[in-house]
Amino acid sequence: MAIDPAAVEKIRDNPFYVLGLPPSATRAEVEREGQKLLGMIELKLARAAQYATPVGPGERTADKVRRAMAELRDPERRLEHELWARLEPASTTAAAPVPAGDRPRRRADAPWPGALQQLGWRASR
Amino acid sequence: MATGPLYVGIDLGTTNSTAAVFDGEKVTLIRNPQGATLTPSVVRIDGRGGVTVGARARRFLETDPQNTRSEFKRLMGTAQAIDFAAARLSKKPEELAAEVLKSLRADVKEHLGFVPARAVISVPALFELPQSAATSEAARLAGFEKVELIQEPVASALAAGWTADEANGSWLVYDLGGGTFDVSLLETRDGLLRVVGHDGDNFLGGRDFDWALVDWVLAELGRTQGVTVSRADARHATALRKLKLAVEEAKIELTRAAETALTLPGAFEAGGNPVDVDLVVQRSTLEDLCAPLIDRSIEVCRRLLTAHGLTASQLGRIVLVGGPTVMPSLRARVRDALGVRFGEGLDPMTLVAQGASIYAATAGLDARSVGPVDEPGRRVWLQYPAMSSDLTPHVVGRLVDAGPASEGLKIRFSRGDGLWTSPEISVDAEGAFVLTVDLLPRRPNVFRLEATTAAGVPVRLSPASFSIVQGMTISDPPLSRTVGVALASDDVHVFFERGAPLPARRTFVLHTVDSVAKGSHGCLLKIPIVQGELEQAHLCRLVGALEIGGDAVKASLPAGSLVEVTLELDRGGHLSARALVPALSQVFEHVAHLLVPDATPESLDETIKAMRLRLRELRQDAARRDAQRTIGKLTFVEVALAEVETDVAAARGGDADAAQKARRTLLEIDAMLEEADADKRWPELDQEAREELAYASLLISRYGVPTEKQLFEEATRSVEKARTARQPVELQRQLRVVRNLRSAAYHRDPKAWEKTFERAASEADQATDLVKAQALVRDGRKAIERGDNAALRPIVEELWRLLPVSAQSKKLGYDSGVR
Repeated sequence: MAIDPAAVEKIRDNPFYVLGLPPSATRAEVEREGQKLLGMIELKLARAAQYATPVGPGERTADKVRRAMAELRDPERRLEHELWARLEPASTTAAAPVPAGDRPRRRADAPWPGALQQLGWRASR
Repeated sequence: MATGPLYVGIDLGTTNSTAAVFDGEKVTLIRNPQGATLTPSVVRIDGRGGVTVGARARRFLETDPQNTRSEFKRLMGTAQAIDFAAARLSKKPEELAAEVLKSLRADVKEHLGFVPARAVISVPALFELPQSAATSEAARLAGFEKVELIQEPVASALAAGWTADEANGSWLVYDLGGGTFDVSLLETRDGLLRVVGHDGDNFLGGRDFDWALVDWVLAELGRTQGVTVSRADARHATALRKLKLAVEEAKIELTRAAETALTLPGAFEAGGNPVDVDLVVQRSTLEDLCAPLIDRSIEVCRRLLTAHGLTASQLGRIVLVGGPTVMPSLRARVRDALGVRFGEGLDPMTLVAQGASIYAATAGLDARSVGPVDEPGRRVWLQYPAMSSDLTPHVVGRLVDAGPASEGLKIRFSRGDGLWTSPEISVDAEGAFVLTVDLLPRRPNVFRLEATTAAGVPVRLSPASFSIVQGMTISDPPLSRTVGVALASDDVHVFFERGAPLPARRTFVLHTVDSVAKGSHGCLLKIPIVQGELEQAHLCRLVGALEIGGDAVKASLPAGSLVEVTLELDRGGHLSARALVPALSQVFEHVAHLLVPDATPESLDETIKAMRLRLRELRQDAARRDAQRTIGKLTFVEVALAEVETDVAAARGGDADAAQKARRTLLEIDAMLEEADADKRWPELDQEAREELAYASLLISRYGVPTEKQLFEEATRSVEKARTARQPVELQRQLRVVRNLRSAAYHRDPKAWEKTFERAASEADQATDLVKAQALVRDGRKAIERGDNAALRPIVEELWRLLPVSAQSKKLGYDSGVR
């Protein structure tokens, strides 16, 4: 059965994945990380251009980061995103703040194979 | 003056305007040449074309009203021309606002020694897009290079938050202006300021207090002298203006004195005889007149709190903003009703300007124009928050010409006081670096950039330093009203929800309803852009439209064609839109920016007549059903309609501002009638809700994933809550959530698309393009035979787009040509 692409996009656009933060991140961490990512995107740094999710990498844009920050500022909306962000993104290093001068992160293009089953989809084919 | 950045904020008010400067540590109010912090928003143009602004112009308001104008802020965004008789000039509202801004700009120059190029200007929370656009235009005309707009309640909260001792809590900003009442619920936590919600009353303001007093005076004249003076009578316009100014002064006097005299000899004329106004006004009279108005504002506060599940006792405090809030009786009444203490030491008259200047800091809007950097050294791009609640924010940098020369380059920041230095780090392969800096609280922090080569040789960087203010964070201003595209079905395709952070940009694919023939002039595809919270397009306000004309298309465009519509809003709420038609590879960017519609007394009368009719029908129906709640709502509509009639009467007397107020009120009344109508349909809606829940729970329990089940449980609780509280609008909203979940679950059923297809196929004979529809039905049948579910979905979706739209709904949806 085909997987609903809208649902996959919903997971891909989850604010926690966009910001590369775990669902336990504090409000201050959300602001700090978001502000840093906005700066990195503005300076067109390659290592901020993508983020990891269980359904494969997503493209990170300033607009997405700003929307993610706004979503997580609202406690009710944040709760819903926490539910959907229980899965670890494929590359767990994404959650850690990047030490300055680090090598650009390994690109996370291999989606975690078990992700969709874990979220309740039946295996395709 | 200080060498660090300076931030300018301006409160462009209806009655008074104020400018403030923030240096990162404290706010200074700018004084005008008269030594006052408030500059009356009054412009006078004399016979020689000489322009006077402020207190000097205000003096002529009474004696020379033909050449002296005030309260033009209410006309912002309209095409209303404002005439100056002696100079034979006619000015647009934004041109007059620009004169006020120019005057404030000159005052700031006097204070700072340079002309500010950039600033933040405050606008009411419920300003519509054309009004915001007019404000930006006024700033441009006044010579500002760049301005950002901030909503007044957010500005007040920022200013109040800056001086607050306790960091956490919920607050209410009670802003009673000349003509509008706004209340905002805000929350601060760890220096993060969030606007939780807004409410307001667009037809309640200090001016209503004045008019209540005017009406009382007129009634007194009738009682004591048997003279009838109608506000609708144009012959009394001058006298009424004088009287209004006199009662304004009386009102101010009564904030201190227990009684005051109101004397206007020969103010009116009746039957050829002069009529004197000579009355003593008691403070208690004023209080009695204002009490119902104040109670209305308190009701709005309660409504806002209830909507967010709060009670007044959970509030930390109330911040009062606006001239009328200095009235002792108002303060006492609000305090008694809500039982919350007021923010101490906050000046209700200048708080907004103070907040605007602090906001300029959070937006990094240094008043000085940024010229080309001529410092020597290697250029670096830096990204950092100009203001941050975070004590340890990140600073991101990148060398402009990264190359082999930057290899091994080490960077370090040191704080201006010399007490903190960052670790030294190497730039990466892209020439970039990220460092965390350590801020001293509540003040500007200056950091120096230091760089050395691998060999340890110092390298000069440009810029050599930067500064961050530690304070509050409110990084993105929230959108005050939902913006979307009106569809031919009279629905709204929402692009940006209320509260969405600005700037924002979104693209959605829509489909044309009718064909556009190449070269035909009559043919026009309209994509109306609307703003508002209601689901039906015609209840939202039209703020602009993208138009694709037959004379502009490269080839004829068949019905059902794809149109990619992109809407973009900048931080100041300026809207731009574009439509890409892939079939033509053409982009249409011409947005007909609408003005707030004109309101002629005739058109207003007609609307009122239609509403009265509807009111009567709804009232009869409500009485039959004995629906007390609806009857209550309709009584409120009745009272509001009577008020509109007073305004229309004033409009007939030449008061363009009253006409605009009436227009706005009518829109709100329309929404209230719609609500009453929804009440009437309540049993239907309630039934629908029960059926929907039953159906959805069946499907979701069978096909739903665990998260959907969990969300469904939450939605069910909300539906039940809305049902118990009988809130039709909220119930509809929650049902939408349930429907989405149900539909997601439903389409996991392998047979789902097959069933949906059959339903669409049964209506194919009504399709706008019959040949295409029949072909699609054939393709669909084949796909079902093959068992190819994946192919079926796009077929169904295309088929849907060919089904007709009712002409009536299209008309309601501002003639929208898309769905």
